[in-house]
Amino acid sequence: MGLYEFLEKNSIYLVLIIALIVWFSVFVYLVRVDVKLKKLEDEFAKLENKEEVGK
Amino acid sequence: MIWKFLLGVYIAIITILAFVIPIGFIPGLGERARIIFLHVPSAWLSVIAFFVAMIYAVRYLRSKNIYEDVKSAASAEIGFLFCFVTTVTGSIWAKFNWGSFWNWDPRETSIFVLLLIYGAYFVLRSAIEVEERKATLSAVYSIIAFVTVPFFIFIMPRIMPGLHPGSKGDPEGAGPVVTFKMDPNMRILFFASLLGFTLVYLWIFKLRSRMEILKIKIQNKIYQEV
Repeated sequence: MGLYEFLEKNSIYLVLIIALIVWFSVFVYLVRVDVKLKKLEDEFAKLENKEEVGK
Repeated sequence: MIWKFLLGVYIAIITILAFVIPIGFIPGLGERARIIFLHVPSAWLSVIAFFVAMIYAVRYLRSKNIYEDVKSAASAEIGFLFCFVTTVTGSIWAKFNWGSFWNWDPRETSIFVLLLIYGAYFVLRSAIEVEERKATLSAVYSIIAFVTVPFFIFIMPRIMPGLHPGSKGDPEGAGPVVTFKMDPNMRILFFASLLGFTLVYLWIFKLRSRMEILKIKIQNKIYQEV
């Protein structure tokens, strides 16, 4: 029995695959935002430190 | 970062188990009772998020620290998002269980009113440009709005007869109401899902707050330089 036939007969697994894809997409999005935000925070902190040393 | 990856795996495992774990026989619901692993934690999380929004609103009114207002708004946004997820998942479930997407059941009506109340909170925030005024008014609104949450989530749907499991007159065992009499598998997975959702909420809340705080810091910097 192929995967297509299996999913046709057990549609709950198809829903499970979709649910996992949704969670995986949300998770990747959150990680990307987290990494980008950390980068921005570090850059901002460096900029502020530089200005303080300059004073 | 490691705990975030662990959380990713944890939620994936919960998702898989939610579909495959045996949940016992539930009269009138059968396999459709599995919605409890997604729908109820979303609803619960919206209550927690609105509560946190109210706490930060009180803290803002006491300290007048704009960062407290930012956190309050961030939590309200996430609460609204989870409330929306609850409504959509419940509505899809209703189509298969009750025959139509929307039935104006007390539980549906109460969550709809809650969405309107918190929708108005964001309208209020976007309508005021002066930061301090916006923060003060939305803090007061957030406190008043939360007063209605226990009534609409816990009280009203339980004192009125309706279609939703847990309504007044609902015979015991007729629905997947969260009790300690639930199937042990279902109970464990339900609380595990609740924990996972709470951790996701904390992650999003932290991200959203950090984002807004950084935005304020950059704006202040530009303002100082100009």
